[in-house]
Order: sequence, then C-alpha cells, then structure tokens
Amino acid sequence: MTTAKRAAFFRAEGVLLSRGVLAATAYYAANAQKFSERALRLGVVALSAPLQGLLGQNDRTLANRLAFLAARGMSEDRLAELGEEYAEDMLKDKILDQGVELIKRARAEGHRIVVLSDNIAQIMEPLLQHLPKIDDLVCNHLEITDGEATGKLLDPVIGSHGDGKWVQGYAERHGLDLRACAAYGAHGTDLLLLAGVGRPCAVNPDFTLRRSAREAEWPVIDYQE
Amino acid sequence: MRRLSIHESYAGKHVLLTGASGFLGKVWLTMALEGLPEIAKIYVLLRKKALRPARDRFERIVATSPAFKPLHERYGRDLARFINERIEVVDGDISSPGLGLDPEVAARLHRDVDLVINCAGLVDFDPDLRDALTTNVDGTLHVASFMERCQKAALLHISTCYVAGTRNGVIDETLIADYAPNGEPFDAAAELAAARARIDEIIAEHDGPAKEAEIHLDALKHIRERRLDPDNPTLVRNISRRIKRQSIKDAMIEEGQSRAQRWGWTNIYTYSKSLAESVLVPYQGKFRFSLLRPAIVESSLAYPFPGWNQGFNTSGPLSYMLAGWLRELPMRKDNPFDIIPVDYVCTGMTIAGAALLQGCHETVYQCGTSDKNRLSIDRACDLTALAHRKHLRRKGDTVVDRVILARWDGVRADDIDHTLSVPNLRRFTQGVARTMRELPRRWPKAIRRRAEKVAERADKIDESLDTIEHLIDLYLPFIHDNTFVFRTDNLLSYDIVEPEHRWDPKDLDWRHYWINVHIPGLRKWCYPLFEGKTPESYKPRYKFSLSEGAETKSAPASDAEAQGEVG
Repeated sequence: MTTAKRAAFFRAEGVLLSRGVLAATAYYAANAQKFSERALRLGVVALSAPLQGLLGQNDRTLANRLAFLAARGMSEDRLAELGEEYAEDMLKDKILDQGVELIKRARAEGHRIVVLSDNIAQIMEPLLQHLPKIDDLVCNHLEITDGEATGKLLDPVIGSHGDGKWVQGYAERHGLDLRACAAYGAHGTDLLLLAGVGRPCAVNPDFTLRRSAREAEWPVIDYQE
Repeated sequence: MRRLSIHESYAGKHVLLTGASGFLGKVWLTMALEGLPEIAKIYVLLRKKALRPARDRFERIVATSPAFKPLHERYGRDLARFINERIEVVDGDISSPGLGLDPEVAARLHRDVDLVINCAGLVDFDPDLRDALTTNVDGTLHVASFMERCQKAALLHISTCYVAGTRNGVIDETLIADYAPNGEPFDAAAELAAARARIDEIIAEHDGPAKEAEIHLDALKHIRERRLDPDNPTLVRNISRRIKRQSIKDAMIEEGQSRAQRWGWTNIYTYSKSLAESVLVPYQGKFRFSLLRPAIVESSLAYPFPGWNQGFNTSGPLSYMLAGWLRELPMRKDNPFDIIPVDYVCTGMTIAGAALLQGCHETVYQCGTSDKNRLSIDRACDLTALAHRKHLRRKGDTVVDRVILARWDGVRADDIDHTLSVPNLRRFTQGVARTMRELPRRWPKAIRRRAEKVAERADKIDESLDTIEHLIDLYLPFIHDNTFVFRTDNLLSYDIVEPEHRWDPKDLDWRHYWINVHIPGLRKWCYPLFEGKTPESYKPRYKFSLSEGAETKSAPASDAEAQGEVG
C-alpha cells in the first residue's frame, strides 16, 4: 500500500477501456445456461440499450441497473467464469494504450491509483492483471443470494453522480488531499467526480462533459487512433 | 474436541492394508509413505493374478500408477530401497478364508499388526451378485476372523455413506444392527443365507437340461447369424459356454438388483456393503473397529497431484454425458451431490486409524461434504457445463466443438419424463430407423441405399442412448430420487495436532475444484476409458524394480547419472 496523500481517479469506461457495460451484459445474456434464458436475457439488454444512450451522458444508475437485470438468476459460478472469460477474451484487447500511459504517468507522479468502473467485480478483477498496478478498484457488485444473482446492483451503484460523493468519502478514509488529486473521466456522469478534485481531466469526453470541461477550463485529452 | 497427534499415534506401528490396488488404497498408501514416516511397517495384502505373484503386481503398480508420482519424484532411484524398508508385500486374498495367507506369515501378522485398513471391495454399482458377496461380505467376514486372531490389532473398515439406501434426510453416524433402509424387519444373516441359496438355485437352473437345451439353441442361432459352421462341435460348445456364463451373470445381476430393491438399497454395491457392515456388528467387543463411510470418492484436490482419478466413478459418466450433445439430465433442484476428493477421504482414514490406535475412536465416521459444505446437483451440473466450456473453447477438436458444443450447456430437468429425455430421444431415433427401412420398394435404389445408411446411423445413436439411459437409471437414486445429507461430526471431533493431517470439508472451493481440478482430471484419466482408449500411463524417470532396492543400495535421487532411466 502506498502512503501517497494524493490519488488519481480513473473512470475505466472511456478512459482505460473502449467498451462499456452493455457488451458485458450482452455477453452474460448470450451465455446463460439455457437457450430460452439466453433469448430472454438478451431482450433485457436490448431494452436497456436505449436507456444507456439516453442517460449515458448524465446518470447511468438506472441504465446500469436495468442492464444487469440480465444476470438475474445466474449462478455465482457462471458469473465468475464468464466474467473471467469476457475479461480475457473480449475486454483485454479493448484496453486503451493511452489510458495505460496516463496511469503510469500518475504513478510516476506519486499518485495512488484508483479505478472506477460501471462493470461488475467478476469482470474487472480478472482484468486488473492486464493493467498497470492499481491500488483500488471500485466497481459494481451484484447482489448474490443462495449462490445466484438477484439481478440487483448493490449500492452505491458506480456510474452515477454519486461517484463524486463517493470520492469525498474515499479521500476522508485515506487522508487524501482532494485538491492535489487528479481525476480522468469520459462522460457527463463524471462531472461531479472531476469537479471534486484539484486536477480534473476529460478524456475523449462525450458532448455533455466536453461542454462542461470547456466552460470549467479543464484540460481535455482526445486519444489519437 | 479430543486432541489427537497423528504422528504419535502411528509411531512404531504395523499397518496391514488391503485393497492397495484400488483408487483409495493406492492414494492412502502413497500418502502414508510420504506423510507418516513413523509407521514401522506397512503390509500390503495383494492377491496374485494368474501367474503374476503379489510382489510383481505391486512392483508394476508402483512403476506405472500415477498415484506414485510424488514418491518417484522425491526418491528417484532410491524409491525401491525406500519401499523395501517400509513395505512388505503379502500374498493373500480377502475373499479366501484366513485371507489366503501362508500360515507362517499369518502368525507373524497376528502378532505384529496394530491396525488393519480394509479398503478392498468391489465398487461397481451392479456387479454379479456372487462377486459382490464374495468380495464385500465374505471378504469382511474373513478380515473379521483374521482380526479375532490378532493380538492387538484394530480394524478400520471402509464402507460407503450410501449403505443408508433409499432414505431421505440427515443420515447419522451410527451402526445399526440388521439394518434395512425400508425399515422392515431384517436379518442380515438370514438375508445372506437366502441370497447364497438363490445363487445356488440359479446355477442349478442353468445346469438343468431345459436351460442347457435353450442355451444350445441360442448358440446355434448365434452361429448361423454369423454364418459360421453349426456342425463344428467345438465351436458350438465354446459359444454355448459363453452364452451360459453371460446368462448366469445376467441372472445374478437381476437377482442382486431385486434383492437390493426389495429392502430399499439403491444397487447391489450398497446392498452388499451394508450387509458387510451388519456382519461386523457381532464382533463389537471382540476387537476394536471403526467404519469409515466415504460419500462419492472423486478426483484428488492436491495429493498425489491435483485431478488424479482412476477408473469409472460416479461423476465421470455423468459429466461425460454432459460433455456431448445430451442437454438435459433429470435431477432434483438443490439435491446434495456428495462428492469428496480422494485425498480428503485418505486424510479421514488416517485420522480414524489414529483414533483407533489411541483407543479414542468412534464406531462410524462418515466422510462427505453434504453436511458442512454442500454442493447441489444443479450447481454441479452448471459447473460441469462451465468446465466443458472452458476446455472446448480452447481445445475443442473441431470448429463445431469450439463454437457450438462449448455453449451447449447441460441443464437440469425436473422431471424424468421431459421432452428431450433419453427415452423420448430413443423413440425418435428408433422411429427414424424404422421409417428409413420401410421406404416403399418402388422408390429408387439409390434413395433406399442412402436411407439404409441413415437407419444404420440411427441404430448407432440408439445404442449410445441405450447406454446413457442405463447410466441415468443407475444414478437416479443419487441425483434425483433421494436427498441425503450425511453427518460428518465424528471426523471433526478431534483436535488434530499436525495441521497437514487436518480434515475439514469446508475448505473445499467447489468452483475451483470442479472447473480446474476435477473435470480436467476426469478428462485425462477417466474419459479415455469411456471411449475405449487407455489413459496416459505414468513413466517414472527411473525404472522401478523392487529387487534392485532389496539387493543393493541405490544412489540418491539427486544423482544425475541416468542409469536405468526410462523416460
């Protein structure tokens, strides 16, 4: 554990990864145990897709909750195995080199590295081995009862405006000086997270975040292909 | 909690092990050789086979069985010397009176042995009733007689949790005299006598002129079908003999099944193992003994190495079926599937043996997981699908395997009779074969030839489905019909001093065990058997010969000289 009093917060989706949660939930849905379940679950994901589009630039809580409903009734074993498989076969190749460079640079500057992800732990934890050393991973967790997912995301749901508040609590717990901390976000949802730190940075921002970053005169990074 | 030191208990003791050629016996033996150096001597009782003496058999077992891999790796060329110092192979057979021992050897064993571990047993679910009774019941009686002559020995008899039969609920660790699962009044001795009388009757029936004539006609029919010479008396005699042998065997299996079902046991194996327990009851007070009842013994978690398995077992055929196109297996939701890795069972045996040596033993130890760390049958099914998926996605032979079969997950069917049940699939394949064979004669020959090929293919599929149907019937009591939870408090009632000998099923991480250890182990050691192939054999680095170790002291394992290296 580093003793650094400052941290760099990275939003995984958009900053470190070029793929969001919908693909993950679709993967789960398509690989459920029964064929009939697969169709039903894919239907749920399809329903949540427009919601992700509509709310993606503001608060994705509802959209994330709906998307992960597709995992309802799925066994914890299947969630873990498919999560590992998805991280290894699908997500690993979607890691953005420029994002990795940002982590390395922040580490070199003595920042504690914290990654926030809308995805669930079953996917993000196996993915960590492909990223530079991360001090803390903050991601979503599915509620599990009797070895099966209820489909409910446990609070606090990551990917909401609540992330900004969460960062404040995190800073208090770890004795961080938020004014010396950096944050890298990509969506309108990250506004409060970025606003809470002394060194915000918008990365490949969506329309909402780009406009706000311009108004607040935050630096904007656009990854080059 | 009673404090129990495994090392102190076994120090200087002489242990006689039967069934050392079996899955459990081998693993216990290697574990004891490696982990219990205090044992003064282990006598391995092996029966000679054909012209191969027991010692040669044992030498071959050590030389080729993967169970001995840790010992080969640890001792290298020094293994023969190590084994000769620790083990004495004894020529004998538990199915013979006096264990078939040479009188001089028997006298020595009666004097020296402190603990007898009786692992020998026939574990096929539905064997010939004669074999089941000879090995499992008479064998136990012979061991008990041997024990009576011993000066100080205690007996650890390996039974099975499933002697409980077709009962539901929590099964206690108790030995009930004249136990029958259906609760009807039962006399084990009378049942044994009746079973033996029936065996004699079946043989007499087959020796009678009516049956002989029937067999002769069958033999002639068989010869004609194969277009052989029905006037060849030697051929007729040989085929008649074979048909008679098979007919007797079938009758014995049928008789055994009907007796087992009559009293509420799941199969001949559990029936005969329960009878063996019952015949031990009168010996209470004559010598110290404990019964260790493992549940379903499966691949090792860690020792001799992760995934070691041997022969046909319970979850092997089930998981093999689910590796193919069969999708639905009847199983009851949340039913415990009481699997226990073989190394856990061997640790349990070591503990029970130590308790016997110390005189702080219990009469029955159950060794399973359903009580403390339950794996449900539907979870096992899901894990099996995930394990196959993991393998097939990367190592499937064909694109179909990698893309489709990998995602063709086996699922639980609540009812035995469901749309895709094996009997329904069989009806379908039989229907296809029939239709293809009954095409109108006016149809072109080419089409009828093609149809005949389709019919032949359907016949083959039907044959496979027949095997699957038979297997499902065998396993239904365990996966669908009954709900067993076997209490395992007794093994946990000791405070084991040495951490490496502690037994706790709660430690088992089912996901890791099933996906990364058990199914890959089955794939390597058991599935080839289902496909008529021979599993990979073990070739130690140094050629193993017991005589070498007995005559000369070999160089230590670290010696790099490659004399005798075989692989």
